[in-house]
Amino acid sequence: MTTDGARVAREAAGTAADALGVLRDALPEGRERDPRGYPVEGRRPAVALAPHTREEVAAGLAAAARGGLAVVPQAGRTALAAGGPLQRYDVALDLRELDRVVEHEPADLTITVEAGLGLGALADLLRPHRQQLPLDPPGGDGVSVGGMLASARPGSWRGLLPGAGDLLLGATVALPDGALARSGGRVVKNVAGYDLHRLHTGALGAFGVIVEASFKLVPLPQATATVVCRCQHLPQADGLARTLRHTPLAARGLALVGARAAAASGLGPAPHVIVGLAGAAAALDRSVREVRLCCRSAHVPHADVRDGDEGWGRLRALAAGAGSEIDGGDGTPLVVRGSLPVAALAAVLEEAEEAGFAAWAHLAAGSLLAVAPPSGEAGDRERVALLRERCEAAGGALAIESGPAALRAALDPTARAPDEVALDIARERRSRFDPLRTVNPGRWPRLDDPGERGAP
Amino acid sequence: MHVNAPTAALAEAASPGNEPSNPLRTDPALRAALARELRAIVDIPNVIDAPEELLVYEYDATIERARPDLVVLPASTDEAAATLAACARVGVPVVPRGSGTGFAGGALPVAGGVVVATARMTRIRELDAEERIAVVEPGVINLALQQAAARHGLRYAPDPSSQRICTIGGNVGTNAGGPHTLAHGSTVNHVLAVEFVLPDGRVTWLGGRQLDAPGVDLRALVVGSEGTLGLVTAICVRLLPLPEAVRTMLAVFDTVEGASGAVSAIVERGVIPVALEMLDAETIRAVESQARLGYPLDAGAVLLAEVEGLAEQVEEDAATVLAALTESGARTVRSADEEAERERLWEGRKAGIGALGAISPNFYLLDGVVPRTKLPAVMREVMALSEAYGFRCANIFHAGDGNLHPNIMFDELEPGSSSRVLELGGEILRLCVEAGGSITGEHGVGLEKRSYIEWIFDPPDLDAMTRVRDAFGGSGRFNPCKVLPVSHGCAQGHAAEAGQAALRLARAPGVYL
Ligand SMILES: Cc1cc2nc3c(=O)[nH]c(=O)nc-3n(C[C@H](O)[C@H](O)[C@H](O)COP(=O)(O)OP(=O)(O)OC[C@H]3O[C@@H](n4cnc5c(N)ncnc54)[C@H](O)[C@@H]3O)c2cc1C
Repeated sequence: MTTDGARVAREAAGTAADALGVLRDALPEGRERDPRGYPVEGRRPAVALAPHTREEVAAGLAAAARGGLAVVPQAGRTALAAGGPLQRYDVALDLRELDRVVEHEPADLTITVEAGLGLGALADLLRPHRQQLPLDPPGGDGVSVGGMLASARPGSWRGLLPGAGDLLLGATVALPDGALARSGGRVVKNVAGYDLHRLHTGALGAFGVIVEASFKLVPLPQATATVVCRCQHLPQADGLARTLRHTPLAARGLALVGARAAAASGLGPAPHVIVGLAGAAAALDRSVREVRLCCRSAHVPHADVRDGDEGWGRLRALAAGAGSEIDGGDGTPLVVRGSLPVAALAAVLEEAEEAGFAAWAHLAAGSLLAVAPPSGEAGDRERVALLRERCEAAGGALAIESGPAALRAALDPTARAPDEVALDIARERRSRFDPLRTVNPGRWPRLDDPGERGAP
Repeated sequence: MHVNAPTAALAEAASPGNEPSNPLRTDPALRAALARELRAIVDIPNVIDAPEELLVYEYDATIERARPDLVVLPASTDEAAATLAACARVGVPVVPRGSGTGFAGGALPVAGGVVVATARMTRIRELDAEERIAVVEPGVINLALQQAAARHGLRYAPDPSSQRICTIGGNVGTNAGGPHTLAHGSTVNHVLAVEFVLPDGRVTWLGGRQLDAPGVDLRALVVGSEGTLGLVTAICVRLLPLPEAVRTMLAVFDTVEGASGAVSAIVERGVIPVALEMLDAETIRAVESQARLGYPLDAGAVLLAEVEGLAEQVEEDAATVLAALTESGARTVRSADEEAERERLWEGRKAGIGALGAISPNFYLLDGVVPRTKLPAVMREVMALSEAYGFRCANIFHAGDGNLHPNIMFDELEPGSSSRVLELGGEILRLCVEAGGSITGEHGVGLEKRSYIEWIFDPPDLDAMTRVRDAFGGSGRFNPCKVLPVSHGCAQGHAAEAGQAALRLARAPGVYL
């Protein structure tokens, strides 16, 4: 139903120009933007629209679907090089105007916001209340709430603090048939109905466009610090990191950083272990002492205490492909994330760095991040395929979080060894929510590729 | 056993307005043939068809009963998959069942059909202390997993009060919570992956062995789906290290309102305890009549607060909590660090529901949620409403999460009392919804609340949920008449009658403990 469906729909709506006309008419005046500002994978949309309300998002989606047009929702533009390459791109849906706080009752530690709000703006808003949404995805402050959920890239605190899906209490989603569907709620505990909001998390828009989300907040920690431990070699760093994992600490982050990643993030060209601490001052003091003790017994010479976010911020920027064009074109840096048993992290990290990646691992989440500048389709493919093989051999998986379109066309960005049954359910689901593949067609190659689907 | 082509079930689900039909009810020969086929899969004694033995599977922790036609007890994923495939071929309803401690009627076979009980799938397949994960079969009892984890200095965080008896599969079914959900979240936050049998018998793993597995997150959707999407045959959970230090505090208040106010006072000071539980006067009296725990009989409420972590952090947080409790008017506060002493403070909370069961012929246990700041006002209204209806109401609940559990005590033999209790229950849940909350925080929608769900979701929301359920291919046949309202599910026949009558009254769960 994808390509054919789109063609049939387009024919029904007349020409593509007619379809665009219908779409423009669906939104009030003043919503059009210059399409040149919205390149993705070297392509420009025919039209760019910035709806002001969730109802406008839904109306725009429905009009686009009727006209057989492909819509790419976006806001922070930090994760546009994720998933498979777009098959079509007619409409940029800029969600940045949806940046309102719908409800914030500080004493309830919950907040409901629109999807276009940036995480930086959200943090600024919560800070006076000494509250936070303790998520720090790659891209940091520039990531929008909706983009963070749709791309579901975990940050440095994952595993020690809850993830986005754990803090998400409910969401409203605009569907390609023009409906607005809500699931979950605004209270911290709720099991009423199917948790569709969790399904949209990480779905890259496959089942609709997130327009509003409610979150559980947590108090800001009294104090934060980072202990940076410079090691002599990777096995030593791995040993230290694993010892620290078993040591009682007031930790919110524990990373094993390869020499290349350490150099690229300003720590210096040696393998490092960094420990992010958060809590009461006395708990931090004790934790620093514990880390130093562990360093001593591992013969790690340096353990420096730095300010709260030092080290982490640079890694976060690295994972977002900082300073580069990340619209999914040829110049987009490679960012891959391996999910691995803790016991296998160091070995795969070493291979990744040998293959030219800057790599680091978050022990509490069992995740390995590896980043490299693009080096042409063939070279990229070989490097990533090798790493994926290693991850899968260790019982894990590897996802391409960002990279040139050519690479993401050659290798399925999300799938590990594909499980046909799970794919079937997802495909069936996609068909029920977005039969014409209106939103982000191609981002899930195995859900959208006509060749992959069974007979109608 | 893995069928790849769309099965009859998929086709059936695709047809609109499908209703649960149960050919076993009209065709005794079919029932006998299916029983024979299932016996070839799971061995003779593990298919139950004798009426007196089926009785055991007629109920859960609600008062409603519904009779299955057959009960199957598979011992493995293969047996479970073959069972489901056989049921799909005949097109009969299938209902997954754990221990049957659910409070929402989720495990009741309202349209009859085949109950698949997990009581023989009780293996802990794997516990990897280094990776901090365990892979368990669905019939593993929550407490058994806790104990296995504790041997490695680890714990499985979700700790429903029914943990001695409920299964991990059932916990996944309802997305169970517990006292420690406040800090650690519900079951969904601790399930990394599920092995899942689709209604047509195909098997797949959803999720991975690490957090945030790549791909569409179908795992999170299955958790809390109350057995309506398929059967979970194994669960990969994450385990957390035991904290270095724990402190439990028990504060005595003159009124429920005072204790409710303390909840917000604690949180406002920037500390979220790992547990914050309340017992009201009625519950305290019930508990003390069963066992002398030293809770003051003249107290209006007690609040249990627990903090954990690094010793220094616990010291600091406990001081903050203590100050908040005192300033909110706590009469006395007892503190404990040692395990045995802490257990003692918890004893009243743990025995509470059972104790209530012993002092009243029946009670109806509600499960609603309100924003934390609305607790004092809503609690006041709950008490006033109960009084107006002339029922005693005891409260024992997860105050930190705003998750209320009013227990309305009544005697079903008193004419008209059951319907008035239901009416009161409905009014209390209405209050929760009007306060911005939810009709269920942890017990689920099941049969009990499927008409109430329309209070919080609009038709487009329910349509989207229906689409998701339909994508699994078992709509109308797999645990029919649960979760979604009559307008979005089965509308007719036996099941609907049961559904109508299914605003359920809890039987005294004391019998389960
Ligand atoms: C005294 C008492 C205290 C309680 N305290 C709490 C509490 O603190 N927190 C809380 O959340 N609940 C609590 N409950 C409710 C109940 O224990 C939970 O809902 C529990 O999760 C149910 O587990 P079970 O094994 O009994 O499942 P069942 O009641 O048998 O089933 C529950 C639901 O899950 C489905 N299901 C069961 N197994 C599977 C499977 N393998 N695959 C797919 N679906 C399945 C069923 O179809 C049903 O819809 C309490 C109950 C009692 C009696």
